[in-house]
Amino acid sequence: MELIATHGLNFLYAFATLALVVLGLAVVFGLLGVMNMAHGEFVMIGAYSALAVQQAGLPFLFAIPAAIAVCVVIGWLVEWGLVRHLYKRPFDTLLATWGLAILMREVVEAIFGREYQSVDQVLPGTFSLAGVEYPAYRVVLMGIIAVLFGALFAWYQRSNAGARVKAMVQNPALAAAMGIDTERLARWTFVFGVTTAGLAGVLLSPLVRVEPFMGLDYLLSSFFILVVGGLGSLEGLIVGSGVIGGTDIFLSALFDKTSGYLGVLTISIVFLWLRPNGIVSRL
Amino acid sequence: MALSLGYSAAIVVALAAVPFAWGSFTAFQLGLYLIYGIAAQGVALCWGRAGFLPLGQALFFGIGAYIVGAALKTGAGWAAFAPAIIAACVLPALLAGLVGLLVFNRQIGSGPYFSLITLALAMLGFQLANALDWLTGGFNGMTGIPGLPGIDPFGSYYFVIVAALVISTAVLALVASSPFGQLLSAVRDNEERLQFFGFATHRLKAASFAIAGAVAGLAGALYAPHQGIVTPQTVGFLLSAELVIWTAVGGRFGLLGPVAGAVLIGFMASGLRNSFAYWEIAIALVFIVVVLRLPAGLGGLAAGLLGRFVPARSQLVRERPQLVERSPDAGNCDLRFDAVHVRMGTVEILNGLEFTVDQPGVHCIIGPNGAGKTSALNALTGRLPVAHGDIVWRGRSLANTRPYLAARHRIGRKFQVPSVFADLSVGQNLDIALWSGRLAWFDYLSPAPFGWRTGALDDLRDRFGFLADETRRAGELSVGERQMLDFSMTMLAEPHLVLLDEPCAGLSPAETGAMIEAIAAISADTGLVTIIVEHDMAVVERLADRVIVMHQGEVLTAGAMDEVRADQRVQAVYAGGTK
Repeated sequence: MELIATHGLNFLYAFATLALVVLGLAVVFGLLGVMNMAHGEFVMIGAYSALAVQQAGLPFLFAIPAAIAVCVVIGWLVEWGLVRHLYKRPFDTLLATWGLAILMREVVEAIFGREYQSVDQVLPGTFSLAGVEYPAYRVVLMGIIAVLFGALFAWYQRSNAGARVKAMVQNPALAAAMGIDTERLARWTFVFGVTTAGLAGVLLSPLVRVEPFMGLDYLLSSFFILVVGGLGSLEGLIVGSGVIGGTDIFLSALFDKTSGYLGVLTISIVFLWLRPNGIVSRL
Repeated sequence: MALSLGYSAAIVVALAAVPFAWGSFTAFQLGLYLIYGIAAQGVALCWGRAGFLPLGQALFFGIGAYIVGAALKTGAGWAAFAPAIIAACVLPALLAGLVGLLVFNRQIGSGPYFSLITLALAMLGFQLANALDWLTGGFNGMTGIPGLPGIDPFGSYYFVIVAALVISTAVLALVASSPFGQLLSAVRDNEERLQFFGFATHRLKAASFAIAGAVAGLAGALYAPHQGIVTPQTVGFLLSAELVIWTAVGGRFGLLGPVAGAVLIGFMASGLRNSFAYWEIAIALVFIVVVLRLPAGLGGLAAGLLGRFVPARSQLVRERPQLVERSPDAGNCDLRFDAVHVRMGTVEILNGLEFTVDQPGVHCIIGPNGAGKTSALNALTGRLPVAHGDIVWRGRSLANTRPYLAARHRIGRKFQVPSVFADLSVGQNLDIALWSGRLAWFDYLSPAPFGWRTGALDDLRDRFGFLADETRRAGELSVGERQMLDFSMTMLAEPHLVLLDEPCAGLSPAETGAMIEAIAAISADTGLVTIIVEHDMAVVERLADRVIVMHQGEVLTAGAMDEVRADQRVQAVYAGGTK
């Protein structure tokens, strides 16, 4: 019983963090059509922001505005200097952002070094939940993610920005003719996407190894989620995170980490083969 | 883009002279970079030629290296090496081919999915190589791999590598200059159009990926005895990334560019990596600039400087020997739309469409915009999913078929916007159309199909004079000429059912006349079924044996032009009235 509760909580935790990590990629790929190969590197930047804040002797909470600031600036520059010229050339955005990912890794490596580092635990101790002692920080993190998603959903449904993004996606030329500044909107959509990735990096930093190559895993699991869940809807993102997170946790618990990875990769290939639009398809 | 034999021989002589001119240590280093270059040649085949990017090529390299390493460690020498090097090529090829078939099955173009899957595979390979201690030696790698008996890894082994490079270059040059290579260029250029000529493009792409896998496996096989150790890094992400960078910088459209890239960056890295702290950053920046500003890489620059930048083989005007027509049994025509429903989201595009075509001749579909005319053709050729009902051609259901299968049932399709292979020459475009349904498996690598010619081609050349200039790039043609080229290609495949979507759109009055005449003449000569979607009533009047009027996803009426014209419902629809 206790074991089931632990695994259940582990699943919820994996599910929540995956949903947070994939959000930015889903926004940028689903809405702008840009497969941002540097998505994981923005997660890494977020984690390193937390590390830098810690090395400066400041409290952990300072890392959140720091990471947001860094990601907004880098995201803005990247969109302005690189991505905006390539919206009509999706293959080139793949290449360019892939080059960007290498660049970001190398720069971070030059500054912080290649070795694994860690961010101190912020909320040591455990909560008692469903009869198990579960790490307090994880519980808080799940709560934060739930609130974030709730707020985002409410905002996107109601706000004018949501409607404008939808209009831009469906018909850019017409949206521009209606007085929507599509260039600005696309830029801020991109910035929003990478900033959520950076935020995910901050929040996850006390729980994971911080190293220049950490982003790759986040890119790939986000990609698997989009393949399985399908593009263009929040439901797809949630379902995809559940399937990928669940498979990974289940197989990893049963065998080992590599089996979990093999499992999600196999599922993704099968989806691409038989159901390329994913479980929930809006596009 | 294959280099002439003279240049190739000069390069081989220069490579062979390296140990004598610069000593064996430089040759040893160069040998490693040449090995990487061989693997990069495979990346160039996929990326430069076929237009999709493998990001995890080190997986195949590593598999080859581990296989040969394990074989040599048995101590059996050549007896173990010979089968091992074959396995090192075949196993990666099979794995790559399988992954390619699955992933390309429903993905058109060069989307990111394939690239990310290959990246994930390399990451998996890295994890497996670390985890499977008993097989790979785990984290520390497979160590103490002996060299080949009688061949010093620091000495004469270099010549083995050069020989392997010559072989891989020769094989890939053959592939590139074959019909298969030209079809890969067509995949990169306009994959969908190629499917409408009956080519299963996912198989072509998977085959090229398999070849790239074999080449990477061969390079890995050479690597094991050269280095004496194989570590998980050999399978991993970093080498995969470097292979792509070398290919990009050296030039992805040729065979020597990737090798030059690997050698150049390899030597620069070994000289600068320790003294210049920002070397890796510089390489990343160079990669981004090359991708954005210099797609042909340094190879393209060099070729431009040498003034020899000529498109593959297009300078050859070939004598085309006569070829027999495909089985000319166009008489049997029986097409039935049976209560066909097609939906897009919540919109019903085809709403129980029902009509039959059982006579040869020209059938024109007319109707206001949004009536579902083009959608009907899309449903017939597998471009739109059919929700309900059936489409039957010659007794066979084609509902939810796929474009290349529809084409194999002798259905030809010309799109409203002319769709040709813009990067290829007019002659190459005509080649591909002639190959539709005619290439046997052994033809894919044979030079013979380049010379094919049919009576229909002669006839079309007489009608459309510009077709004679075979070396022109199709992208340089005017819109009208592209319409005519597209139409000619559709006809050269000798379909029994031809679907023409506004064949006269964008044509001048004179060109329209020539096109109408061509359609009428070919249709009368061959007795095939032609379905034309057309808005221009003058064209309809000239060509139509029968007119089908569509409105809101259904057939309103059908019959001879005069009957249809007299129909009050048709008049109401065209006058803007409502039902």
